[in-house]
Amino acid sequence: MIQTRGLSKTFGTHTVLHEIDLNIQAGEIVVLLGPSGSGKSTLLRCLNGLEDLSAGSIEVNSIEVTSTMKLKERQQRMLQIRRQTGMVFQQFNLYPHKTALGNVTESLRMVKKLERTHARHVGERMLSRVGLLEKKDQYPSRLSGGQQQRVGIARALAMEPEIILFDEPTSALDPELVGEVLDVMKSLAQEGMTMIVVTHEMKFARQVANKVIFMDEGRIIEQSDPESFFERPATERAQRFLSKVMDY
Amino acid sequence: MQLVWDNLPFLLKGAGYTLLITIISMFFGLIIGVIVAIARMQGNRPIRWVARFYVSIIRGTPVLVQLVIVYYGLTDYGITLDAIPAACIALSINIGAYLSETFRGAILSIPKGQTEAAYATGMTSAQTMWRIVLPQAARTAIPPMGNTFIGMLKETSLVSVITVTDLLRSADLLIAQYYVYMPFYIGIAIMYWIMSTIFSTILERIERRLAKAY
Ligand SMILES: Nc1ncnc2c1ncn2[C@@H]1O[C@H](COP(=O)(O)OP(=O)(O)OP(=O)(O)O)[C@@H](O)[C@H]1O
Ligand SMILES: [Mg+2]
Repeated sequence: MIQTRGLSKTFGTHTVLHEIDLNIQAGEIVVLLGPSGSGKSTLLRCLNGLEDLSAGSIEVNSIEVTSTMKLKERQQRMLQIRRQTGMVFQQFNLYPHKTALGNVTESLRMVKKLERTHARHVGERMLSRVGLLEKKDQYPSRLSGGQQQRVGIARALAMEPEIILFDEPTSALDPELVGEVLDVMKSLAQEGMTMIVVTHEMKFARQVANKVIFMDEGRIIEQSDPESFFERPATERAQRFLSKVMDY
Repeated sequence: MQLVWDNLPFLLKGAGYTLLITIISMFFGLIIGVIVAIARMQGNRPIRWVARFYVSIIRGTPVLVQLVIVYYGLTDYGITLDAIPAACIALSINIGAYLSETFRGAILSIPKGQTEAAYATGMTSAQTMWRIVLPQAARTAIPPMGNTFIGMLKETSLVSVITVTDLLRSADLLIAQYYVYMPFYIGIAIMYWIMSTIFSTILERIERRLAKAY
């Protein structure tokens, strides 16, 4: 479903991703771990074309982008990739000038070209899926962080993506609001959604993931099932990382 | 003051032209402003350069000079415009430059996460601009735009130089007829003031409406 070959990303002279080879199957729930600055966000952003790649190739759902393609062609394909992947952001990034429902229906209208009432029906269905139907007419500023993030998930879901990328979806939340967002993510996992999740919620990673990818300094250091990663990390770097995060 | 009352219809007609020119120039200036702002940020190199050059020239020269160039200057090339269209063209071009700066600032003030969220759901950059960025930028831009608008209302008094019978020139014509200055000047000062105040009030309303979501 998602494949990268030799994916590299360079900002100026600073190489942030070094030849990443990744293979993710439909239905997999991948948790991406690694210290700050290791390139997790950059990888996610490359995967859905928010960031252009410097070298290598990405294939999402048989749409391929390689660094050698012409810029126009690459941009065109990245747009196609974005239409098949959803993204949930750490800071939610809800549109403040639109209601919860408006946030969800915007791209249904603009991208999927659904007509108004149809878009509203779909939007309401998505909001009820994240348990927020009764908040549909509220503006984001009136919602708690947890509610805003659930709207963010509903917005991504509405586009019927093949895969959803989560970049630290609970890191900006007060501790007591983390659970409601994780619950929604768990229910998506149970429904078979393919997901890549960058998170510091180790319990969630262990319970829900079927694959853990550990990154450091722009490289994939380790890839395994959660059980073995958490019990018997193979590399010294992963051990060091785990001993730090497990203190909390 | 009796004189002012007696000649009120004439003065009101002048005020009408002042208003007309302000609104038309503001309307086209707005369109020019949005286009130039976007051109400066998303255009290719030559387009960006042209847009910057335009803004720089307009901001670096007096409105009065711009007015006489459009009205008198162009006649050298056989382009003869009536006074009112000439005034509207010159002022639209002028106001467009100022508003483009306002819009550019407002657009740049919208967090990058907004654009990214829209891209992530598959919107094109044009859709993102019109549906997500500009509506939010409009809110930021309204107060400075209001100032530009009211400034324009007052600056239109310059068009009397190119023979438009606006509010100021109406007063001048009456003064030439009756040989008194003060009543007419006070009269039109009050009329300018009333118009400015009405616009301020309307703008405040719009601002409050747009702020509803926040
Ligand atoms: N737009 C950019 N321009 C220049 N450097 C960047 C840019 N975005 C990220 N970087 C650099 O790339 C490196 C990886 O950043 P990235 O955000 O991907 O890390 P991360 O693993 O997500 O970290 P965190 O856990 O702190 O979110 C960092 O050194 C960062 O400074
Ligand atoms: Mg990050």
